[in-house]
Amino acid sequence: MISYFYRLMPAMISGLNTTLKVFSLTLILSIPLGVLVSLGRLSKIKPLNSAVQLYIWVMRGTPLLLQIVFIFFGLPIVGITFDRFTAVMIAFVLNYAAYFGEIFRGGIESIDKGQYDAAKVLGFTPFNTFIRIILPQVIKIVMPSIANEVITLIKDTALVYVVGLGELLRAGKIASNRDASLMPLVLVGIIYLALTALLEAIFKKFEGRFSYYH
Amino acid sequence: MRDNLKKVFVLAVILIVSIVCLTGCSNEEAKEDAFSAIKERGYVVMGLDDAFAPMGFRDENNELAGFDVDLAKEVFSRIGLEVKLQPIDWTMKETELNSGNIDVIWNGYTITAERQEKVAFTKPYLENRQIIITLADSPINSKKDLEGKKVALQSESSAVDAIYTEPELVESFDGGEPIQFATNNEVFMDLEAKRVDAVVADEVFAMYYIKIKGPEKYKVLEEDFGDEQYGIGVRKSDKQLLEAIDTTLDEMREDGSYKEIYDKWFAD
Repeated sequence: MISYFYRLMPAMISGLNTTLKVFSLTLILSIPLGVLVSLGRLSKIKPLNSAVQLYIWVMRGTPLLLQIVFIFFGLPIVGITFDRFTAVMIAFVLNYAAYFGEIFRGGIESIDKGQYDAAKVLGFTPFNTFIRIILPQVIKIVMPSIANEVITLIKDTALVYVVGLGELLRAGKIASNRDASLMPLVLVGIIYLALTALLEAIFKKFEGRFSYYH
Repeated sequence: MRDNLKKVFVLAVILIVSIVCLTGCSNEEAKEDAFSAIKERGYVVMGLDDAFAPMGFRDENNELAGFDVDLAKEVFSRIGLEVKLQPIDWTMKETELNSGNIDVIWNGYTITAERQEKVAFTKPYLENRQIIITLADSPINSKKDLEGKKVALQSESSAVDAIYTEPELVESFDGGEPIQFATNNEVFMDLEAKRVDAVVADEVFAMYYIKIKGPEKYKVLEEDFGDEQYGIGVRKSDKQLLEAIDTTLDEMREDGSYKEIYDKWFAD
């Protein structure tokens, strides 16, 4: 069995490559965008606020699979054509930024309003108040929810099969069909578990680092 | 706040209407024959489901292989084109074709009347049957014996159409309908787990599967659910490409190179 797994590895690694690329790019792009989304959502400027609410509603209210299909197959009808990987990245980043945005909003709203007054009295500009006082506390508060989303994300990457990109789960399914065996899927499961274990370890470390004010 | 909600609602309605309109009103296909453009570019993009052994799948080195892949490479090299293999999600195949992401669908693509409305098919290049398979020790020996039994097959496959040509028989199955799975692999696993009594599947795939798992474990019934034919799908506007493929396939049948590739994949 080990030698069989060994023979499967080249296909798995090439699938894993896509999985990790989608995963890391989505994280890098959607977390900063999520902060902006949360600010837009909390903004007092009405058109901005409504637009962000609409965006969040659409992104959370429709399946991610549908969004990928729509961006890749639907937009070319109106003349906007992306290649496979770009279409997937747009869908993932927009979708995850909506979820991250709502998590950050929750974090920001949980900070006592008195802190803003206190910062003002101490002479902080609104920008500095947010960056130096509010955001560090928010990061700490939202960390467990972010970890949840990140772990969901690693599994959501499997959805890219719909535009024909070969990722980890797809590689397993192909081998499973070819060899008429369930073992490739067992291997895929083990790889996902290893990835999640790694992510959990990283988050544990992070949460430890952010346990200031205790 | 109420005003705000109203605005969001109105925006949402506009969005939905425009989406429906965009997708609904502009389903026209490309009208121009793309053959000269493809020739100029030097390659043709072939869409295939890379999980469909033995027609098109990934071998142990993760390379695309299979009967259709070999056949297509030979056909297009004779036409003077390189082949770029593009794995696609099988449920999206016609959309991929008509949006121009791929130029041909070539992967055990059964010719059906429904599909002929969306794509143009070449002449059939391979015969296939929908066969009935049970475990070797099963008491089922004919179609009639399927009465009151559980039958599994792949959903949205031509097996579904094939069994419904005999609706009374399907009614008599345990549950009054077949049990459907996403892939044939799952269909066969359910048979091995003895949760179903028989399966209906493409002969081409079934024989491949049975060969791997050991022919002694299974029984293929003499009766079947009819013949069908595999064709190559191209856009309706691409008449020149269609003709080029048809002529080349005819040539290959005559000079024996078709048989060579066939024997490589299907002869024992």
